[in-house]
Amino acid sequence: MLRKRLVTVLTFNNGTLFRTKLFEPDYRYTHNFVDSWSVDEIVMLDVTRESGPDRQAFFDVVTSFAHDCFVPLAVGGGIRTLDDVRQYMQVGGDKVVINTGAIERPELITEIAQAYGSQCVVLSIDAKKNNDDEYEVFSAFGRGSTKLHPADWAAQAEELGAGEIMITSISHDGSLQGYDLDLCKLVSDTVSVPVLVLGGAGAWKHFVDGIEIGGASAVCTQNIYHFTESSIASAKTFLAKNGIEVRL
Amino acid sequence: MIGIIDYGLGNLTSVAGAVERLGFEPAISSDPDALGACDKLILPGVGAFGDGMRNLAERGLIDPLTDLVQKQLKPVLGICLGFQLLAKSSDEFGDHAGLGWIDAKVTRFDPTQKDLRVPHVGWNELYQTGDSILFDEVPDDSLFYYVHSYKMDTEDSEIIIGECDYGGRFVSAVQYGSIFGTQFHPEKSQRHGLTLLNNFLEKS
Repeated sequence: MLRKRLVTVLTFNNGTLFRTKLFEPDYRYTHNFVDSWSVDEIVMLDVTRESGPDRQAFFDVVTSFAHDCFVPLAVGGGIRTLDDVRQYMQVGGDKVVINTGAIERPELITEIAQAYGSQCVVLSIDAKKNNDDEYEVFSAFGRGSTKLHPADWAAQAEELGAGEIMITSISHDGSLQGYDLDLCKLVSDTVSVPVLVLGGAGAWKHFVDGIEIGGASAVCTQNIYHFTESSIASAKTFLAKNGIEVRL
Repeated sequence: MIGIIDYGLGNLTSVAGAVERLGFEPAISSDPDALGACDKLILPGVGAFGDGMRNLAERGLIDPLTDLVQKQLKPVLGICLGFQLLAKSSDEFGDHAGLGWIDAKVTRFDPTQKDLRVPHVGWNELYQTGDSILFDEVPDDSLFYYVHSYKMDTEDSEIIIGECDYGGRFVSAVQYGSIFGTQFHPEKSQRHGLTLLNNFLEKS
């Protein structure tokens, strides 16, 4: 039976892990857990806001990371063209995560799917409720209004060839109060590709909710702060005790 | 030297990293002579079938590789798309001919089946249904990482050494003489994946 996945999302700014320890950048964590932790999959995103075309610092981190990474690695940040995808694959990505680039030019999804296969394309959707109390997709780090409804956009992306949808709640991000389950369910009910949910997990119970209520195939967390070796294992034990099939 | 066939797609870096970790020297190449000088070949895989075959053809690799594998019996391991390319044909984005080294064809997972999300992404069992050196010291039913929308069908049950279950059993590993293939990614399947890859590198 296919297991539900526990995915760690790492965000980088100018090649430095965005999360810090005691306000100092520290990505020894990441190097250590790749080998020894039981995480199922890793997502690395470059969220440098003014990076322009130069992503060398991030590519360097991915290269060094991928070298010792024997679980799947999804990478992304600023992808606009097939050439960007090629670079990300060359530095060690197994699949790519696209977001604003696909909103600007939806055919990018099809281009990647045809060249690398649908399984290589993870469409990331950032959404929150707008002033009319309706869910809306936002681009450009959550700043750009798109007028798109997340379920509609997810359905269109699936049609265009996206292999997975990662749905992130902007308003729940960093809250530790749990995922936006309504948002996740809207999307997972609409598409037939796997859905990854991100934004708000702060307790093991939230993972269970994301899977059972939100309908997610994979639950993600950015909050590596809590993730010591034992806590990943304990999260999975908790999931297993709650009847969810995971890789222990 | 382990030749990792570069046909412009594939997650070559991941495969090379795993080979290196196991103490072998990877050579990423699209040059038939350089690949011919290697002891073993890996045909990695992330990509679409049609593009894969077209890229192999553009690099003039199809005939030389077929010669290396079928005449010189150089061991080869196909992974994911590389595994599917071993087949005779696929219906991914239209009908395409494959390398045809094994008697099989590639078809899409039945998308009409309820609750079956496609692609099949994540950790799932490898049921060892046949004997193979690939499985030495790999416990039966171990979990491996899969990511694919298409699967291999074959009427030659002799070549099937492993299966997985996702809306029914499907072929997840084959061996035909010195031709090996896995639908899952051993280079991305932690300890058991590395053991299986090491078996190919050491024992094939």
